[in-house]
Amino acid sequence: MIFKQFRYEPLFQASYLLGCSRAREGFVVDPIADLGLDFYVLEAADQGLDIVGVLETHVHADFVSCARELAEMTGAPHYLHEAAEGLVRYEFTPFGDGETLSVGQIDVQAIHTPGHTPEHTCFLVTDHARSDEPWAVLTGDSLFVGDVGRPDLLVGDQALDVFGETERAELQFRSIREELFTLPDHVEVFPNHYGGSTCGGVNMSGKASSTISFERRFNLALSQPDAAAFASFVRETAKPFPDNYQWIKSYNLGLITKDELEGARRA
Amino acid sequence: MQITEDRLLDARGLLCPMPVVKAGKEIKSLEPGQVLKILATDRGSVADMPAWAEDTGNELIEWHEEDGVFVYLVRKGQEA
Amino acid sequence: MNPSEVAAATEGGAVVLDLRPPRPFATEHLPGALTMQFNRADLADRAELMLPQELRLVVHAEPEPIAKVAVEILLDAGFDVLGHLEGGLKAWRVEGRPTETLPLIDVDDLHGSLAAYTVVDAREGFEYRHAHIEGAVLFPPGEAWERADELPARTPLAVVCGDQTRSAYVASILRRRGCDAVLVMGGMVDWLERGYPIERAAA
Repeated sequence: MIFKQFRYEPLFQASYLLGCSRAREGFVVDPIADLGLDFYVLEAADQGLDIVGVLETHVHADFVSCARELAEMTGAPHYLHEAAEGLVRYEFTPFGDGETLSVGQIDVQAIHTPGHTPEHTCFLVTDHARSDEPWAVLTGDSLFVGDVGRPDLLVGDQALDVFGETERAELQFRSIREELFTLPDHVEVFPNHYGGSTCGGVNMSGKASSTISFERRFNLALSQPDAAAFASFVRETAKPFPDNYQWIKSYNLGLITKDELEGARRA
Repeated sequence: MQITEDRLLDARGLLCPMPVVKAGKEIKSLEPGQVLKILATDRGSVADMPAWAEDTGNELIEWHEEDGVFVYLVRKGQEA
Repeated sequence: MNPSEVAAATEGGAVVLDLRPPRPFATEHLPGALTMQFNRADLADRAELMLPQELRLVVHAEPEPIAKVAVEILLDAGFDVLGHLEGGLKAWRVEGRPTETLPLIDVDDLHGSLAAYTVVDAREGFEYRHAHIEGAVLFPPGEAWERADELPARTPLAVVCGDQTRSAYVASILRRRGCDAVLVMGGMVDWLERGYPIERAAA
């Protein structure tokens, strides 16, 4: 298996390239425009992989995604959870909870973990060449190393979601406890952010990977006794909002154009 | 048999004929009897490497594949 | 360069160098295109070993970022590169322009109908001497452009190398010269793995 984590330090953002060298195919997860299309295309080429899928864990609010453009350039599908239908204003390829995408011996299974956003999904990675047990989980902005994704970054139709912020926090608590913490101890955790990222709270570690068992034992937010206590904890340990998050999210949802986003940022 | 190499050439990610071309260059600076370990991902090397060793009077001690990587152990010959 | 510009350049003697992997190239490529697989780490080295320096080249690679990097790499290596095909094969086809194919066979196919082919061995002398298919003609890729006319135009030619990287390049040269060449996927490595008969020594 080829598994590469790319860290964009200015935004403490992590994106991924994973694939099967024998099958010469791979997926890109959560690509960031700041690294650019050329970067991902050339990295994949260096690894001998054709990009056959561009996956996103969710629609991002703190960085400009280049998933749409990368999908178009490579001819690969742009995958988002089906719950994003009606929320984003562009075409994408929906997947549902439990669905598996494969390249060669690698399986990537979707685990729907709403909370941070309604469509948020984690990707469970299994390399059958080594074992039929899952090896890693890409947790997006749900479970961070040492922290959790904040529930208050929605805009547009997403913000008109049935649940309020507290309810979303509680949903996050349940998603992580029931969907992620039930995974085997050894499963490695690879998040979308780390360190100083404002997508999570003050306890986010600068280490960009962990394990399910370590987080189950030592993640402070998830150690709260119940969902309500968790919601309070998250509120109390929150960082400032990400810069320009409303504009960035609007662009990533397809509500505004790149020019409108640039115009807003310059203002 | 565990053989420790005297030099490691990482030719992973290179396409044929580069692994053999680089092996040829690398082994020049070894003493006869010393062992060069070559890593390659190019499948063509499975045919190239034994041919090169034979042609240059070096000994291909053994080779195997590990997780998509071909590992070759070549001992530099006396006349090579 | 847009498709019209590429077509004009090839009419003026420029050669399209297709850097996609062997299978997509085989399925469909620009007429007369040569092929050499893109690999950032060693494209320059391999081009220097095989590609005639005097050719005027137009790069075809996909997606676009690869084409741009490839043009830079080849220019740095001293090749005369006019540009790359913008929009790739899609742009070419949308204008209704013709394409060509390279037939593929595997070693089982070749073994099954060996008498029907002249085998062209696109490797170096020492590799050929170590093990080759009976009756194969030694045809190192560095000499292929110069020697292409030596091979019969109407006899089916099956081109092999270790896997299919160098043989794809040689096969593309032969097709360009009008030979009935096919590419043997898997090459000598697969042939040896199957235990098919080989000869040693004497080129």
